[in-house]
Amino acid sequence: MRPRTLTARGGMLLAVSAVALVAASPAFAQELRLAVRASIEPANLDYQVDPYTSTMLINTFMSDPLVIRAPDSSFVPGLATSWEISDDAKEFTLSLREGISFQDGTPFNADAVVYNFNRIMDPETGSALLANQVGPLESVEALDDMTVKFTYSEPWVTFLDMATKAPIWSPTAAAASTPQEFDKELIGTGPFKLVEWVANDHILMESWDDYKNANAAVELDGKAAVDTVRIQFIAEEGVHGSVVASGESDIAYQIPALSTDQYTDNPDAELLSIGQSGTGLQMIFNLREPKLQDIRLRQALLHARDMGKVNDILYDGLYGEADGPLNNIHPCFWEGASEMYPFDPEKAKALLEEAGWVEGEGALRVAKGVEGVPDGERLELGWSILHHPEIGEVVQAQFLDVGVGISVEKVPGPIQLERVNARDFEIMYERLRSPDPKILDDIWNSQYDYPGGWAWTGYVNEDLNTLLKEVAGNPNWDARCEAAKSAQQHIMENALVLPTLSQPSYFAVSGKVDGFKLGAEGTHFFIHDVSIN
Amino acid sequence: MGGYILGRILQMIPVLFIVSLIVFAIMRILPGDPAMLMLQGAEGGVITPERLDALREKMGLNDPIIVQYFNFLTGALVGDLGESIRFREPVLDMILDRLAPTMQLAFAGLVCSLIIGVPLGMIAAMRRGGWVDAFTMSFSYLGASTPVFFLGLVLISVFAFTLGMLPSAGSTGWRSLVMPALTLGLINAGLIARLMRSSLLDVLGQDYMRTGRAKGLPPRLLMARHGIKNAMIPVVTILGLQFGNMLAGTVVTETVFSRPGIGRMIVSSILQKDYPLIQGAVLFLSVTYVTANLIVDILYAWLDPRIRYDR
Repeated sequence: MRPRTLTARGGMLLAVSAVALVAASPAFAQELRLAVRASIEPANLDYQVDPYTSTMLINTFMSDPLVIRAPDSSFVPGLATSWEISDDAKEFTLSLREGISFQDGTPFNADAVVYNFNRIMDPETGSALLANQVGPLESVEALDDMTVKFTYSEPWVTFLDMATKAPIWSPTAAAASTPQEFDKELIGTGPFKLVEWVANDHILMESWDDYKNANAAVELDGKAAVDTVRIQFIAEEGVHGSVVASGESDIAYQIPALSTDQYTDNPDAELLSIGQSGTGLQMIFNLREPKLQDIRLRQALLHARDMGKVNDILYDGLYGEADGPLNNIHPCFWEGASEMYPFDPEKAKALLEEAGWVEGEGALRVAKGVEGVPDGERLELGWSILHHPEIGEVVQAQFLDVGVGISVEKVPGPIQLERVNARDFEIMYERLRSPDPKILDDIWNSQYDYPGGWAWTGYVNEDLNTLLKEVAGNPNWDARCEAAKSAQQHIMENALVLPTLSQPSYFAVSGKVDGFKLGAEGTHFFIHDVSIN
Repeated sequence: MGGYILGRILQMIPVLFIVSLIVFAIMRILPGDPAMLMLQGAEGGVITPERLDALREKMGLNDPIIVQYFNFLTGALVGDLGESIRFREPVLDMILDRLAPTMQLAFAGLVCSLIIGVPLGMIAAMRRGGWVDAFTMSFSYLGASTPVFFLGLVLISVFAFTLGMLPSAGSTGWRSLVMPALTLGLINAGLIARLMRSSLLDVLGQDYMRTGRAKGLPPRLLMARHGIKNAMIPVVTILGLQFGNMLAGTVVTETVFSRPGIGRMIVSSILQKDYPLIQGAVLFLSVTYVTANLIVDILYAWLDPRIRYDR
């Protein structure tokens, strides 16, 4: 029998039918499936209330902020098209973008901005962090319909950074609700509208047809490319790391480092990583402890650790370097920190001998004439950390080579805060993340040495405080950065901190995704231009 | 029967009172200031002592401990379990929001364990000493000794990542319930199978079964009418406890499968020291557990009248 073959006429018919079918069917709705760690799910979806960076990120999908931090870390227009800053950094005048409305149809204008900042500062709102970031605001006033002026009682150099974080909501919608309820009905100016938030499960958003691009960091004008965005919160780390490889999600945000090997040679997905400017995973010394009061012991500890080896052993070298109080990718990192304490066990041993820590009968050194420490006491220190205990465990082995023992303890957040507030610790994890050097002031300025403050070490030095005042208060960025570098030099010379590594943010992105753009920091990205092939 | 039920209800009161006391005390003994946690949970910004104190006052943490407990208890009696510190929502609303998925999972798990465990136990009893019996007993040991999280991850690896048949996370649609229910069900099916086997073996040796056979009752009818019903009594008894195990198991299962529910809510509230949420949720679960056992006791009394006459 003659085999059946597709004739030219038949083929043509099939092709025409296929084209006709595609043309006749409605366009496929595109859904962007985003996997996010459950541990960073917001408690309240409004960053004006909730303090977490994940909340801030999700808010930017629904409401453009006044100012955008572009991928190159510069400030570019958002809902504000330009801004003027007074020489003393106490007055900020913003010109607002015209023709923008909220998703409920009400207009965006200066009054809306005034309403939002008054809402943030209202104690009834209970803003857990943003009110602190807004700072000592004296007044916010509408100069005209599209111009707004912020006046501060003292220089507020982090104003623009704050303006990238504060979401702007529809005053009509916010006023009609309570801060506790409004997070389920957020109405902003952004490209996506909130459809539902099922706590501990997912957030669903749909693109807003009338969106007008108020974000200079994205390219697409008008409506977003995808129709819906589903943010799935995933509680199990291993699952979170694999959902893009298995095709269940299009983008997985902040996957664990140990899951990254699934994506390194994967033709169907891409692994993106970006560092997070800040302190890195630093350990600070409690100088109130008699053992740690001697700088030679602290210096010895710095010489006794080899963080490059720790990185290789634990993370295949994927983690970033953090050699000083600010990590190496921070714009104000002081490079001298990298050279100051090279791995040198012999020098560490010599410093320990000099400090009165002599070899004992066992593996650990013992005190001999160390001030405040009874003779014969073994050199053992507590290493308390919220996460990444494995770093401490490798360092533990390195320290043992020079006769120092550390007991690594992973402590939950409440225990850490309890210990810190009682100043009951020896070596404690303390990390802050921000590209602004103001975080140095928070951690190292002794004026914040009280329960609730971030200055935990007990180190008091007026020279350092003066430098930090400059870091926190000088309106000139370059001058602040220079002061920050001098402060870091001071901190390292006095061996007040034990820097370890810096944790990057890893993103697994499916090969079907186009237009995904990372932000300047590992905690931010843009999805407005994203489309799914 | 009415007096029996009333007596059992009255016994619930001291149990729940002690539970509330223990939960309240434990949360206060553990370290960590919830007001501080709430403010310092995020990064950046320095918290002033005034701000901290104002929040502590607002949260009622400055009240004497007895007053705090009294407020909690009197509120609970009228259904007011307070407001979550972190979520700033009424605790009861939060529990009720998450109740449906947790109950759905616990019931689905229970049904799975019965569907798997009861027939396995019956077959093992009827084929006593054979390979089916050996398999069932091995299965029950395996089930009892496998950690929930491990089984959950194995199922995810096979059915979600390798075969792509079921979703690994979430609670949308019936497909998302299959693996969590199987995880819970398989773990508990072994126990039910063992219990059913031994109970049925016991029943099969009873005089009334021999009499039934002697009277010429068809074996299937005899088994269905006299064998299984009587063999189910200890299984039903254990169901109440099993339901408690299911509720406890949801804590891990909900986390592994990223499902919303009371279990996950409790875990995160413990980490955040969200006092009202922990207290409310644990009290609520205790009431549920005790009520489930009450229902089982009533069922038991109905199945075996000797129970209510002997009390």
